[in-house]
Amino acid sequence: MMCVVSICVFVLILFGLVFHLRRLRAEVNRLLQEKQVMVGFVHDVGEVFAGAEDVDTDLLLNRILFYALRIVRASAGAIYLFETEGGVLRARAVAGMFPPLAGSGRGMVVDAVGGGAKRLREAVLSERIKEGEGLVGEAALGRSVLVEDPERDPRIPRYSGDLLKVHTALAAPMRFHDRVIGVIVVVNRADGNVFTRSDQTLLESIAEQASVSVHFSQLREVIEQKRRIDHDLSLARRIQKSLLPAETPRIAGLELAAFNEPALEVGGDYYDFIDVEEGLLGLVVADVSGKGVSGAIIMALCRSVLRSHARHLSDPGEVLREVNRFVCRDIAEDMFISLVYAVVDTETYRVQVARAGHEKPLWYRASDGDVRVVESQGIAIGIADSRTFEEHLQRTEVQLEPGDVLVLYTDGIVEAMDRDGAEWGIQRLVETIRQSAAGGAEAVAQAVRERLQRFTAGAAKYDDITLLVLSRPV
Amino acid sequence: MKQCRIEREQRENLDILHLDGALDAYSFPRLEAALRALREENRNNVILDCAGLDYISSASLGALIGFARRARENGGDLKLVKLSRKIYNIVELLGFHKILEIYPDLESAVRSFAA
Repeated sequence: MMCVVSICVFVLILFGLVFHLRRLRAEVNRLLQEKQVMVGFVHDVGEVFAGAEDVDTDLLLNRILFYALRIVRASAGAIYLFETEGGVLRARAVAGMFPPLAGSGRGMVVDAVGGGAKRLREAVLSERIKEGEGLVGEAALGRSVLVEDPERDPRIPRYSGDLLKVHTALAAPMRFHDRVIGVIVVVNRADGNVFTRSDQTLLESIAEQASVSVHFSQLREVIEQKRRIDHDLSLARRIQKSLLPAETPRIAGLELAAFNEPALEVGGDYYDFIDVEEGLLGLVVADVSGKGVSGAIIMALCRSVLRSHARHLSDPGEVLREVNRFVCRDIAEDMFISLVYAVVDTETYRVQVARAGHEKPLWYRASDGDVRVVESQGIAIGIADSRTFEEHLQRTEVQLEPGDVLVLYTDGIVEAMDRDGAEWGIQRLVETIRQSAAGGAEAVAQAVRERLQRFTAGAAKYDDITLLVLSRPV
Repeated sequence: MKQCRIEREQRENLDILHLDGALDAYSFPRLEAALRALREENRNNVILDCAGLDYISSASLGALIGFARRARENGGDLKLVKLSRKIYNIVELLGFHKILEIYPDLESAVRSFAA
């Protein structure tokens, strides 16, 4: 009997041991599996974050967000980054049914079907959140935020529908050195629980690690953008340069001089000499309002349209009307060209001037030593319909006497600034012309150039500078 | 030069942009952003209060003209008020005073929209 009992006890203990062993094995397996998940995660994160040099910032942010959601088991989230200026944050990556966080939440009803999710995403992406404002803005000040009771939290908008309702939320700043560059926000745990302190620590460390890669990726973006702009500018400058006359024409009884100094940011000035017909010479000074390649292309268009019409029409007003008609069709709605066009009769020294929204020419008269402004009305090219343009366009005539000088220029001359931001101004230009006029066109151009250079020494140049001088020697 | 501050005042049927400072190459993106926001919200009646404006670049004027054109296509307009002598001279030189409506004060511009 005792023996049977002993055997039974032994068998039971054996079963118990086997059972325990199995449980231990299962536990080991579970731990191993978890370890694998962690190892996999660390590896993935490493890859995600290491790829910063050649991965587009938005793609990188989407990957980071994906892993952040997985780790803290959140059902939706977004990453906000600071805009380049103004202390404003904008969402750059969104996942899941993530609610817009700025505003009260009233009036927003979204269903997941019928494009609702897309609209929701767009609403989140278009939000601008100020530093310190709401959940995101607060985390942007540098400390993570855990919202356990959103019902009573003023930082969380109240959405009526179930889809957008926030049950729990977590936000952590992304910091590079001491500077916050953005914020990761996650809402609603997939298992229905509230986010814990350990979730908060996890998200903080993800944000911390990711920020280095995001910083470098953004830096790469800026460098890339700058490279594109530089390329654009050098192309624009090449176009602009190719449009300027290679040399100044020599005409008996007249003297001509001109110069163009492009600014760092290409403004879009040009000047031109046109053989209108035997005995008639066209002079052009123009300023295109657009920058870069688009400005340079419009300049090229304007130049060729003007040249082709100048050869059929001797009236400068008619030529400008044609240029306006032509350019209006192709020019962007926020671009225009200010231009002055003068036709000089090289036999009689009579100059006809038409002005389309440009600086008024200056006329030095040797007889009284005065500089006067050649007045005429005219709207810039590219903004008015033909009728309005024609209605307001006036022609003026100037009769050049021996010793007289006519100066055409762009606003870059009078708006050139010194180091303290003071403008050179029309008064100094007039004075310079008066003092140098006796030496003829070349002397005037030289004097203006030298004085401007002295005045603007050490200051940044914002606009192109163009001057064209015509004189009738004594 | 002082960078331009742009403040938006929203009224029932129109928006007023109060400008303060210089609208140069640096402030230009700010003007662009303000106009873009109005466009996106389909706000087409706009008054530009230029009382505090002491410089305007040609690119900024281009942006204003472009906005005015679009606004007109949508039944609205862009009008300028309280231009200093200097700003008016720039606008006049370009002939823009023949294209854009200019008023001496805010009230008359607001009334012109109501009419």
